[in-house]
Amino acid sequence: MSLRTTALVVAASALVLAGCAAAPGATSQAPDPTSSQTAPGGAATGTFTYVIASDPTSLNPINTSDRWGLTTTNIVYSPLARVEADGTVVNELAESIEPAEDGLSVTVKLKEGIVWSDGEPLTADDVVFTYTNKAVKENGNADLLWIGDKPIQAVKVDDLTVRFELPSFSAAALSNIATETYIIPEHVYSGVTDFSVAELDPIAVGSGPYKLVEYKRGEYLRFEANESFYGGKPAIANLTLQIVANADTVKAALQTGEVDASFVTPAQIADLTGSPIDVHAYPEGRVAYLGVVAPKVKDVKARQAIFFALNRDDLNKAAYLSEEYFQNAYSILPPSNPFATTELESYAQDVEKSKQLLTEAGAAGLKLTLGYAGADPAQTVQATLIQQQLAAAGITVELAGVEPGAVYSEIEKGADSAYDLFLGGYIMGIEPDAYSLLFRTGASANYFGYGNPATDALFDKGITTADLAERKAIYADLQRQIADDAVFFPIADNLKILAVNQRIGGVEDAKPAPIYTLENFGKLTEK
Amino acid sequence: MALYIGRRLLQVIPMLLLISLVVFLMIQAAPYDVVDSITTPNMSAETIEIIRQRYGLDDPVLVQYFRWLGNVLQGDLGYSLVSQYSISADLAAKIPNTVILVVPAYLTALALAIGLGLWAGANHGRRIDRFIDGASAIGLATPPFWFALLVIYLFGYYLNWFPIIGMHTVGQDDLIDLLRHFVMPYLVLTVAFAPELLRYVRSSTVSQLREDYVLVQRAFGASRAEIFRNHVSRNVLLPIVTQIGVALPLLVTGAIITETIFGWPGVGPYFLTATKSLDYPVILAILLLSATLVIVGNLIADILYVLVDPRVRLERSRS
Repeated sequence: MSLRTTALVVAASALVLAGCAAAPGATSQAPDPTSSQTAPGGAATGTFTYVIASDPTSLNPINTSDRWGLTTTNIVYSPLARVEADGTVVNELAESIEPAEDGLSVTVKLKEGIVWSDGEPLTADDVVFTYTNKAVKENGNADLLWIGDKPIQAVKVDDLTVRFELPSFSAAALSNIATETYIIPEHVYSGVTDFSVAELDPIAVGSGPYKLVEYKRGEYLRFEANESFYGGKPAIANLTLQIVANADTVKAALQTGEVDASFVTPAQIADLTGSPIDVHAYPEGRVAYLGVVAPKVKDVKARQAIFFALNRDDLNKAAYLSEEYFQNAYSILPPSNPFATTELESYAQDVEKSKQLLTEAGAAGLKLTLGYAGADPAQTVQATLIQQQLAAAGITVELAGVEPGAVYSEIEKGADSAYDLFLGGYIMGIEPDAYSLLFRTGASANYFGYGNPATDALFDKGITTADLAERKAIYADLQRQIADDAVFFPIADNLKILAVNQRIGGVEDAKPAPIYTLENFGKLTEK
Repeated sequence: MALYIGRRLLQVIPMLLLISLVVFLMIQAAPYDVVDSITTPNMSAETIEIIRQRYGLDDPVLVQYFRWLGNVLQGDLGYSLVSQYSISADLAAKIPNTVILVVPAYLTALALAIGLGLWAGANHGRRIDRFIDGASAIGLATPPFWFALLVIYLFGYYLNWFPIIGMHTVGQDDLIDLLRHFVMPYLVLTVAFAPELLRYVRSSTVSQLREDYVLVQRAFGASRAEIFRNHVSRNVLLPIVTQIGVALPLLVTGAIITETIFGWPGVGPYFLTATKSLDYPVILAILLLSATLVIVGNLIADILYVLVDPRVRLERSRS
């Protein structure tokens, strides 16, 4: 009996609790339609709200490598220098960067008077501390700071001078030292014993344009202007990175002015016309490509036959809708890369030649499986089109649209892979040696199972050559070699499209940049 | 009855073990793992191997499973492999957000279902019944994500009445702001929950009206309204109480799609993100919680059924 009573009490109290929770629902039916909401193109609010698609994977500058982690890091911290799209090095924290004549060291002088957001001076100790910890392999992001099997060492010369000592000459060293290493304060983190973690504690002391003041996981990151930022105090006092996963929701929020900016797809732009929104399209130096798993399609003539059957223009117009949103890519390097060449076999469509090569290779009636990211609209369109284009040359293609992670772990099986072809894309930066991770024999991201001693030799030569013109010639040869070997069909550098509410100005001054969205969020203004 | 409840609760344990093992093995059977989902072409093979070791993904599958199980048995749900945050802490922050959304929507749906269901059932075959039944069929067939987009278009964009994203405007924590964010997802969820309940109430009303006792009452001269008020409605509504038990798992997983579309910081977006990147400790924690609630919910439903209907016995009488 008593149990029955208890159960009744429990049920009753559950109802009461539920009733309490329901109460606000009842009042919510009468919202105040006049209450403040940012009108599209409306007045200054003191806040710039930017949409990011997910939580950053890591907020730790020592090991972050995901898009939103790097975006946040670039807002809170500063690097010694940046490598711009044309390959020039622009100083940030550094006053000067001097490579030694023998190429075995680089001396960096810091700007005077730079302070952390907590007021402490930024010194050579911080730089040495950062580079030393980043070069520890266990921390998870040391690759750029190693040459062969030895790390680059950072040595303090005086309070504002650091010398980087290279174990051997590397033409990529300067770029690798500058790229994606953000200086962290030693006086705050000297007690940290494990830098492989996803978040440092506290996360708030930096030298970038903004300070991170609040992070609500799954909701937003809130920043306030860093008054002591060496690049000048940001014009907009507050910055919010709002996390929204659904692209349709983002589009509506852009239209209503609830958020100020977001990346959008070419297909969404038509819907945004009529709203007070400006669109900025810029290259990220990405190469979208069709890859061949070489151990599955061993005959180079068969691979060339596949490439001659394709029509790059059609693939791009179908996927990216307008020429404003892509540039055709012809080489392993994106068209904007200063080392990229166009003097190579670009495989302009030639279906007759394709058929002829197929016959020569004894591969008539070739059947292939194409793996791609099924949730990616551009890849889905291109995969379907590739199927049609290859059919015209007598090649049958079966489509397999899956999760991107599944594509890569399948093709890594090489000859045992279920896929012969796959769609992919990468952003590897300006330094041409970085591409060796994809095309050197046995390299970690060599998804193609590609190996050619001639290509490896060119990579070796390129990295040990100091003269720029000579390097360009070497990498041009290298691009030609890979094009001839036909494992990699470059499709496009598809531009990143940033939609920004017209109430925000200064986007070009803030410099749209690969990965980070903007080089300096502090340059944005409210109109 | 205590014995019965005790025995049912004991049955939960092997069931949860089985569920966790099956889910774990299914995640392992996926063609990639969490490290594949976070690596970039810039990482060397050595770096990727270091990350894989740190997550313990280089151990044999069963070792990984029992290590995870051992921690769970000690009350430790572990850490997300991607973010390295404590899963218990994340869930403690996210479940209340989901509950705030799901409970009012479910109760509204229930109230609507009871009112409209009785009305339709009482007018079985007439125009109003056909209308309500048709509307609930359409509601049942409408995907919540699509309805959510319509709601966003109308109330968020076209009329611009409510904010679209999240639970709070950043920097504002007051109740009014919360309510303004609450209206649209609440509406979507109510419409998602109501049709099934409505059809349940309607069909049991229709079948009750065919019972002999209705005929008897009529023979005694009771009016239609009297029969409906004093007898039919009671018999229809009593089993509804049991729905409270069955609805229990909704508290965690009741709004996955809706939350994701509105950027509502509940369990939904957390679960979907983890599933995409095969972050197995998170997936397992949420599924275990949800499975527990299903089992416990069914138990509560059974007990409530006995309490509201004395004719039903939990155990066969000891004859």
